[in-house]
Amino acid sequence: MKFYPKAWHFIILIATALFLLRFNFIINSTLLTIQTIRLIFVSPSFVFSQINFQFLDPLLSSALVIIIPVIALLKHGSKFLQKKIDFTSLVIIILAAFFILAPLAAGSNPDFQKNLSVTKLLPPLSRVKVLHLKSESHVVSDKNYFFYLKNLVVKRPFDETIVYADSVISASDVICYQGGEQVEFPKEHIEYRNGSPVVTTRLFLLGTDEYGRDIFSRLIYGARISLFVGLGSVLVSMLLGVLLGFIAGYPGGVIDSLISRITDMFLAFPVIFFIILIIALFGNSIASVIFVLGFSGWMSLFKIVRGEVISLKNKDYFISARLAGLTKTRLLTKEILPVIIAPVIVNLVFQYGNVILAEAALSYLGLGTGSSYPSWGAMIESGQNYLSQAWWLILFPAMALFFTLLAANNLGKEINTYYNPRLEE
Amino acid sequence: MVKEKSAGWNGISKLLLKRVLASLVVLFLMITFLFFLLRIAPGDPSQKFVSPDLSPRLAAMVRQSFDLNSSLLDQYKTFILNLSKGNFGISYTYQVPVIEVIGQFLPFTIIFSLICFVIQISCGFVLAKFVVKNINGPRDKIISKASLMVYAMPSFVIGVALILIFSVWLNIFPSSGLSSFDFSSYNFFQKIFDYVRHMVLPVITLSFGGIAVYYKYLRDNLEEVYNKSFVENLRAHGFEEKVITRKHVIPNAVSPLIAVAGVELGLLFGGALITEVIFALPGMGRLTVNAILSRDYPLVLGCTFVSGVLIIITNLAADLLKAKMDKRIVKGILN
Amino acid sequence: MRNKYILAILLIFTILFLPSCTKQIPISQNRVVASISSDIESTNPLFAFDIDEGTISELLYLSLVQHGWDFNTGSMTTQPMLAKSWEWNKDSTSITLYLRDDVKWSDGQSVTAKDVIFSFDVYSDPLVQSKLYGSFKHFYTDTSMHVDLKKTFDVINPYKLTINFKKSSPASFYDIDFPIIPQHIYKNVSRKDFVTAEKEIKPVTDGPFELAQWNKSQSIILSANTKSFLYNSDNIEELIFKIVPNYYSQLTQLKRGEIDFMQDIRADDYPLLRGQNNLKLTSLKGREYDYVGWNNLDPEIYKQTKRIVPNKLFGSTVVRTALTYAINRAEILHEFLDNHGEVAFGPVAPIFSSAIDTSLKPLPYSPGKAKQLLASAGWKENKNTGLLEKNGREFSFTLDIPSGNPRREFAATVIQNNLREIGIKINIEKLEPEIFFQKMFARELNAWMAGWSVSIPPDLKQFWYSKLEDAPLNVASYQSKAADKVLEEIESTRSEKFKDELYKKFQEIIYKDNPVTFLYWINNLMAYNKRIKNFQLTPLGPYHRCWDWSVR
Repeated sequence: MKFYPKAWHFIILIATALFLLRFNFIINSTLLTIQTIRLIFVSPSFVFSQINFQFLDPLLSSALVIIIPVIALLKHGSKFLQKKIDFTSLVIIILAAFFILAPLAAGSNPDFQKNLSVTKLLPPLSRVKVLHLKSESHVVSDKNYFFYLKNLVVKRPFDETIVYADSVISASDVICYQGGEQVEFPKEHIEYRNGSPVVTTRLFLLGTDEYGRDIFSRLIYGARISLFVGLGSVLVSMLLGVLLGFIAGYPGGVIDSLISRITDMFLAFPVIFFIILIIALFGNSIASVIFVLGFSGWMSLFKIVRGEVISLKNKDYFISARLAGLTKTRLLTKEILPVIIAPVIVNLVFQYGNVILAEAALSYLGLGTGSSYPSWGAMIESGQNYLSQAWWLILFPAMALFFTLLAANNLGKEINTYYNPRLEE
Repeated sequence: MVKEKSAGWNGISKLLLKRVLASLVVLFLMITFLFFLLRIAPGDPSQKFVSPDLSPRLAAMVRQSFDLNSSLLDQYKTFILNLSKGNFGISYTYQVPVIEVIGQFLPFTIIFSLICFVIQISCGFVLAKFVVKNINGPRDKIISKASLMVYAMPSFVIGVALILIFSVWLNIFPSSGLSSFDFSSYNFFQKIFDYVRHMVLPVITLSFGGIAVYYKYLRDNLEEVYNKSFVENLRAHGFEEKVITRKHVIPNAVSPLIAVAGVELGLLFGGALITEVIFALPGMGRLTVNAILSRDYPLVLGCTFVSGVLIIITNLAADLLKAKMDKRIVKGILN
Repeated sequence: MRNKYILAILLIFTILFLPSCTKQIPISQNRVVASISSDIESTNPLFAFDIDEGTISELLYLSLVQHGWDFNTGSMTTQPMLAKSWEWNKDSTSITLYLRDDVKWSDGQSVTAKDVIFSFDVYSDPLVQSKLYGSFKHFYTDTSMHVDLKKTFDVINPYKLTINFKKSSPASFYDIDFPIIPQHIYKNVSRKDFVTAEKEIKPVTDGPFELAQWNKSQSIILSANTKSFLYNSDNIEELIFKIVPNYYSQLTQLKRGEIDFMQDIRADDYPLLRGQNNLKLTSLKGREYDYVGWNNLDPEIYKQTKRIVPNKLFGSTVVRTALTYAINRAEILHEFLDNHGEVAFGPVAPIFSSAIDTSLKPLPYSPGKAKQLLASAGWKENKNTGLLEKNGREFSFTLDIPSGNPRREFAATVIQNNLREIGIKINIEKLEPEIFFQKMFARELNAWMAGWSVSIPPDLKQFWYSKLEDAPLNVASYQSKAADKVLEEIESTRSEKFKDELYKKFQEIIYKDNPVTFLYWINNLMAYNKRIKNFQLTPLGPYHRCWDWSVR
């Protein structure tokens, strides 16, 4: 019998790989979890003042990287996990892994920037030297130990204990070269081990952007924002478009003309003003971005659904089905849904791509999710400025977007096949 | 049913009239809504008159002359009175009547949109027909993936890449603008040639994504219709494949596309902001966005009105087309 | 059938491409193309509100005098233009101007004293709302700031007139330095509708250039005025302002030679242009600075009652000084601006070399000193959170920045990290510019980052005077009796030397009070094609005397 890799094999493979690659990180976050739990009993108010999403995120992902493969192993008989691995499920599993395990997979803060003259626009697989400065010695106490671990686990966007350099020379003082410039550090500020300064190298797997930020970790954190914003607003559009389209098309008459005219109105309404308004009123949060993008994209979906429903309800087979006394829900699921599903899915796939890119346009106007999160759209947008110098800025996020769209497209096809089983023949 | 089928020209024109009237009422309501929203929303049109070089008294004077100090209702009354005379007021930034400002930007946008629209639809159609003979064959797979790839590339990336390739490296086309500086000294053919040279890259940029969209819709719809039972019936009855495709499959596959095309064309008429910015073209997109960003209230209202009218027209055209393809649904569609 | 179509298409293409094969499109080499990022709205100097409009209108219309720049003293000099010479009276309250008699408007009429008087009339008319409205402070005016023509002007003959300033006002050339407009063209235009009516009138000009063509949103073509006394047939025939909204398109076109001159190049693109053989790089020392604004008063109370109550966080001089110590300005300057600028310590630009107080040095970056100062003001670190606290209140606030400015976004991130290090938590909020500036001018923001471009000569009262109604740009609501006194003295003094002393005194006060944290003066980086000769750069701008440019 031939061996086909199945979905659960792949899930376990990814989890194991991450586990091995980030072993130190997982150990540290386990220690931090233990320390936190201990401190809860000593001074609960302190612990609660420390807990927030940034704190819990890495701890949870460290836990999940162990829990998920265990669950997959236990439940590997289930239908989804038994699926033969193909392109679509591969992309979906990787995206899900990035989405859930971002802090673990990324390894550094997506906004981390330091020594721009050294790190600006580095091509993929670049390495830079890292010089470690002496940090204040810690008095051993519970809280200090907690902070020590926290600094290791919760990645910050800055770090004053390291210096990036193109090259390091150790003489009486330590000399760094940063973009052709020479910077000296007195010995007493440098961390020494075995009589020589501690110098490590940092690898930028996919290069750096114009602010010297690591593209790899931005791409992974970007998966979060792009999936979340994309799916969220597509959902909003779909609900609005399909529901209104059906409400307008099915009974027809006054309701139809009312809703249709209102839709025309929304098409003409200046979207940018709408966006500015919503964001000014409700703040620049992810929720308002999702709402704004979802709300400005449902109109063509509405048109499709309404048009199809109208032409359908005059078709002979539909009329006979209705006369045969099918209930409304059955009519909807058995007759209407299969017909409209193909154009609706195409529309949603495009809508998804649209939304991710529109989010970029929003970021361009400064109205997007802000600099607190990276997003693929914003990465592509800023990359176009450096097209002739730094292809990697645009290539990786665009590829990520392309694969996601492709997977979404295939997924859409599968859903279509599910509703219209004839297609399979 | 019988009555509807026989709805003649008279019936249709009545329907049309009703619909146009309804559209205009809605448009008017929207303009009113926008009027108040603009004034309530944060931002101040006299902001640009506050600067270190200007006297603080100027901004106050300007506010006065924009009539921003009177009550909202009074402002609205003036607006409606002017509107009834077909006057949108005077643009705050350009200091000429709004109609004149739009008149300078609209013709370009309409011509540009129509060219791109025709290219999008025809290329999408040709590509879809090209693959439909062997759906799921190698050429279908390649073109389908390529179209998604194009779609994943936003128009600003395509635009910048085209400039890089065709203007910077190959030096074939100019990188921005609508005409050369010496335009006025050209003869007729040179003028046309100059326009064409300038428009090639923008047209490609704006058309690319649309081709992918129409191709995808058509291809998926064609695939679906081919698998419908009635097609098999026709085949079983010995109809020629060509005839089936032309007479039955294509009309059925095109119908959901028409609605989308109507919407898309309407949106194109609203302006293509990004393409206009990259290639420095004088279009409605840049005009509207700048008007919004500088809070030029009369101009925002004027632009919205114009794009509203165009959207109503394109949607009506789309619905008429759809109704023409399926006579039974005239009433439902035109409602 | 199909063949017919193909034939038709081929035919069309031949027609379209034939002219290009037969005849090369002639390109006049005697022109300079400069890029601007957005279209101008008016060529009329009355309404030249933005920089490009100012530049273009000053090339089209002549002023009475022309300024030059003295690099030694860092101040302006005055040279003849429309007025070929002049005499001040003994107490400098009136000036007699001798106009050139060879200057003609483009329709053939001579430029005379009546145009000068008319210009003062229109510029100061409240109905016209020109850009100079309200700034005729040294003239006899009525209550609406409209210049009193009878009292002000004595016309001796069409080419000689006297201007009388208000008694005891410190009048100077700055009061009469603006483009003169033709009386015979605009005299019948209704003042109330001047702004709109003016648009219908074809410009009649007298400057070194004429408006040849204005393609909306695309280009403004100026051609040399061959009748002007400034004309020299060796120099450029055409100056074209090409509108290219996208910054990177501008850069590309500069490299290709499609445009010859570009301003406001970003520091990180500058090194890349160095390799370009056709370009020459130059930069203008900044008179534009960025700052972090700390609202000295409590915005909530001010909004409700207009009462001035010190801000809970930034009302204290010690706290503001500490914040200045805590921000690593040199790093931002180095990392983002590639040191094209200098760290600022006050509102007087370094280009004013005689007014700047060289004994002052910007406060160094010192988180330790900052912490110490904050501790002395009662802000102690909470060991649990690592944040500073005073009477149970955490030191945290929102820093607002206008969106769409990469430099400020970068600086905001650095500042966020800097302040986090000393135990202050800040949340960065990007606001759409319109909303941002509205809130800033309404003094509703708590802390923000913005920039000012200072005028020549520096006008400080608008920015720092305590009476907020008279100082609309004092958005930090800085309150200081000492500073007020100096500002009033600057306004009333006539001696340049004493003024410089006062400027220095003022800088010392600001240096001590730190009403805002001055970040850095930013150089304007430019590049021009080497074929432009006689390119001179002064703080008055690159187009100053651009009629002397020539191209080879």
